[in-house]
This record gives sequence, C-alpha cells and structure tokens, in this order.
Amino acid sequence: MSANTGPLLEVKDLQKWFPVRKGLLIERTVDYVKAVDGVSFEIPEGQTLGLVGESGSGKSTTGYCVLQLLKPTGGSVRFMGKELTTMGSGDLREMRREMQIVFQDPYSSLNPRMTVGGIVAEPLAVHGIGTRRSRDARVRDLLETVGFNPDFTNRYPHEFSGGQRQRIGIARALALNPRLIICDEPVSALDVSIQAQILNLLKDLQRDLGLAYLFVAHDLAVVRAMSDHIAVMNKGVLVETGKANDVYTNPREDYTKALLAAVPVPDPRRMRERKRERRKLAHAVAEGL
Amino acid sequence: MVLNPQNEELRELTVGREREDGSFEAGAAINQTSLWRDAARRFAHNRAALVAMFAFLLMLAYVVIVPFVVPYDPNAVNFDIAYVNPTWTHPFGTDEFGRDLFLRTALGGRISIGIGFAGTVAIMVVGILYGAISGFVGGWLDNAMMRFLDALYGLPYLPFAIITLAIFGTVNFWTMVIALTIASWFTTARVMRGQIITLKENDYVRAARAVGARWHRVLFRHLLPNTLGVVLVFVFLELPGVVLGEAFLSFLGLGINPPQSSWGSLAQDGYTQYLSHPYIIVIPSVAIAWLILSAFFIADGLRDALDPRTESAA
Repeated sequence: MSANTGPLLEVKDLQKWFPVRKGLLIERTVDYVKAVDGVSFEIPEGQTLGLVGESGSGKSTTGYCVLQLLKPTGGSVRFMGKELTTMGSGDLREMRREMQIVFQDPYSSLNPRMTVGGIVAEPLAVHGIGTRRSRDARVRDLLETVGFNPDFTNRYPHEFSGGQRQRIGIARALALNPRLIICDEPVSALDVSIQAQILNLLKDLQRDLGLAYLFVAHDLAVVRAMSDHIAVMNKGVLVETGKANDVYTNPREDYTKALLAAVPVPDPRRMRERKRERRKLAHAVAEGL
Repeated sequence: MVLNPQNEELRELTVGREREDGSFEAGAAINQTSLWRDAARRFAHNRAALVAMFAFLLMLAYVVIVPFVVPYDPNAVNFDIAYVNPTWTHPFGTDEFGRDLFLRTALGGRISIGIGFAGTVAIMVVGILYGAISGFVGGWLDNAMMRFLDALYGLPYLPFAIITLAIFGTVNFWTMVIALTIASWFTTARVMRGQIITLKENDYVRAARAVGARWHRVLFRHLLPNTLGVVLVFVFLELPGVVLGEAFLSFLGLGINPPQSSWGSLAQDGYTQYLSHPYIIVIPSVAIAWLILSAFFIADGLRDALDPRTESAA
C-alpha cells in the first residue's frame, strides 16, 4: 500500500480534444472534436469502476488518457498520489509498472511475429527485470495464473482462439504486478460463452491480487456484473455516476434510462413495450441537449 | 480459469490439457505450425508460384553454370562462323563476330541479374529507411518527406537514370546500380510508410508503449518485423523493374560497354538484323521476359502465402 490514503486513481476535469485541421501545406486548426470534455472520477484500491456509453462516447479515449497513451488536453490524472499529466518520461516509465491495459481486440493486441512467451515477457524485458531464465519461469507462472497452458510459450498468437489470446493479453498486463488495469472492452470481441470465462478470470484476479479496474464497456450486463461503481458517459461527458446497483435499479438521467431500455430481453411482448419506452426516451434525450 | 466438461464425449472434443487433479485447462493450440512453415505450405500449394520459382531457379542455374562448361571464348572473333543459326554446337547460334550466344547470353544474364539484385537490395535499404522514418516519426517531418517524394515522382524514370549516369560520366556495374536505384526507390518508400502507419495503430504497439517500451524497441521489435512479408514481396516486384530498366538503357546504348554485355545490349546487337537473323534479338528478349514473369509470379505467390490471415486452403 502506498503512503497516501486517497483513492488509487483520481481523475479531475479530464479533457481530450482532437484538432480538426484544414489547409494544404500550412495546416490550421479550424475546430476540435471534444472526445473527452471534463470527466472526473475516482477508483479506490481494489475496486472496479465501470465506464459505459455507446460507441464514440469517449470511453476508450478516457482510458488511454489515464495511461498517458494519449496526452490529455487538460485536467489532472493522479495515480498513487502522483500527477501523471506533468510527469517526465522517465518517471512515467516507472509508473507504468503499476498500471496496465487489456485491449478489446485479441487479434490486434498481440504481435503476430512474437511468440506467446516473448509477448508475456516483454514488460519484464522492457524494465530489465530478472534474467532470461527467471523471466521464463515468471512467464510460465503468469500463463498458469490466467489458465493458459504454459507449455505453449513457443507458439505464435495466431494459433489460438480469441478467448485464449485474451488470456495471453491479460498475462502480459499482469507481468509487472500492476495495481490498476484498464480493461478496454475486454470481452466484447469474444463469443458469449467465452465472455463469462474471461469475466470470471478477471474477477478471480481482482480477488487474489487486489487489482483495481477501470472497466470500459458498452454491454450493460457485463459492466453490472463487474463493477462496484458505474459511470455513464455520453458525448465526452459523464452523465451519471453511482453505485452499480443504484444506477441499474434507479437511473436518474434520461440517457441512462435510454441505455438501459436498449438492452434486449428474451420476451417479444416486453420488447415491444420497451421499444415504445425507448422512443420516448430518445426524444427526451434529444430535447435535453 | 478451468473448464470442466462434464461428460466424456465433450471432454474429448475440447482441445486442452488435463491437470493432475483431473480438471481441464483451456489453452491448447488450434494448429501447431509456425508462421514461416505455414507460409511455405501455402506457397507450395500455389501451382503458378511453384512453376515460377522453378523457372527462376532454372534461369539462375543457366547463368551461373553455363560459363563454366561451355568451351568457347566469349570475346573471340571468328568471322568464319558468323551468323550461325542455332545448332547443337551453338544452341543459341552466333552473332556477327562469330561469338557463341549460348555463352554470351549466360554472361549477359550474370550482369543483368547481378544489377537487378544489387539494385533491388539498394532500393530496399533506401526505401525502407526513408519510409519507416517518415511513417514512424509522423507529423511535419512525414509531411516534408512525402512532399519531397512527390516532387521526385514527377520526374520520369528513365531520364532520371540517364541524367544520373551522365553525372557519373562512366557506365559500369556499380554506376548502373546507383542510377537505377535513384530512379526507382520511391514506391518502396511510400509502401513502407503506409505499412508503418497502419501497423502503428495496432493495439500491440499501444501495449508496448503502455509497458514503457522505448521507440527503438517499438520500431525494431514490433513494426519492422511485421513488414517482412511486404518487403519480401517487394524484392520480387522491384527486381524485374531494375532488370528491365537496365535492359532498356543498354538497348538504347547507354548501358554496359562492349565487349561486356547484358541482355539489353545483346538485344540491341540483334535488332539491326531482326529480319535475317531473328534469333539474335529473340533470345535475350525471351530471357528478360522469362525472368520478369517468373519474378512477378513469385511475388504474387509470396503475397498470398505470407498473409497470416489467408485461409489455408489445404
């Protein structure tokens, strides 16, 4: 545990504006796309914040900004009591041991020219941790932890299915013993039967390793199953935050209600009702803007 | 995570590994071949590419071996046997000086193919370097480098090579290679830039940055190895271009000096007598076409074989 007693991650007024440029040789900025515009949230040690919203609402961008994979336009990201946005690259490298990411697409997140062992060992190699031999042992441990047969370290990612590849990605994220993992839609590219396996794995890891998650997803059922708190995002801003169950059973904002009403239910009569409900809400959301 | 297939049948169907306690672990490989072995297998199933590969190697064998086994002097002049049509003693006939064309075509091939390979290697080095830097760094540098390339693209290919040769003042093997490289590295650079930019957007590059990998690791471990397939394809796409460029310059009389010859200059020797002795121009022309076509088909086969996403239609 770190000395500070505040939350593990504290994000305040986070902004990410992408400039829209025009011009042939000399480009000038004519406008901005405000992908993230004033987002604030906290994640306590060992807890999960679910970040939901439709595609293009800025969820993933928020995740990248937290990790400083994208430079935020404004706002503050405090992690373990330290401000990341103004940190030098050397210090930031050290901080990267404590925060990692699991990506959505298990096909583009693993380098096809590297072996499974090489992929999982890379974080260790980058930080110069251990010898080649001790790294091998650590890689086997990590793969075992995520339920991946450690005898396959010399195989290439394309030989495995989506769920198995996602386990490799999780093992890589765990390699440096981080405290926070950004899960960027970790199961939305997977088969439903595999989704449950990966979600259970993430839950088990959280229990065993005390991880905190920023769980980005558009699937409400998935987020509900995973999260302690939920933040609902729309067009770059948070429209509602609260305890997971409260947000589900008692949504305050129209947008959240519309989002919930969009979840399909296995009952055609009920679906028709919800369709009507959804239209009304969509109308209300549109008027509210 | 542990899978526990309840019934025996399902257990057999599930690929995986049994632990000591009898539980079942996910994570078995779907298939077990490596990337390159996979590619080799796909290549071997492509009949056109295989035939092309055989034709290509046959041509290489011809130019390498024939000069050692043919008993004639390639430059000895003997007017008694000038313009001999192809026979068993002179399979490709002789030219106006009575020189054996079977031998001279092989020697010319050495020069043509040699220039082709040297030029291709030079094009790859220059093109990959330029394109990778441009795509990797991005921003204003990328912009400047690409506009410069656009300007060079505006200049026609052959005059460019001719001017370069004129600046050197002499024409030999290496000046020829340099001239052809300068005239034809643009496409490779541009393709490489595109490749790097596309690859940069992959999540595994983001993952590497997220663990704190420095730029050289990202470039040399994650980006460049993934362009290997494209590079290999481009070797066989550029090679015919260089061979053809050399042949064309030689045909115009701007190439390798006599008595040395390349396929281009051999064809030029023949073109004045193309009615009376057509074999003199036909033979080196066929050799050029042979090489170019086989290289193109190899490139085509490689492109299909090296794409890991190609369905293995085996």
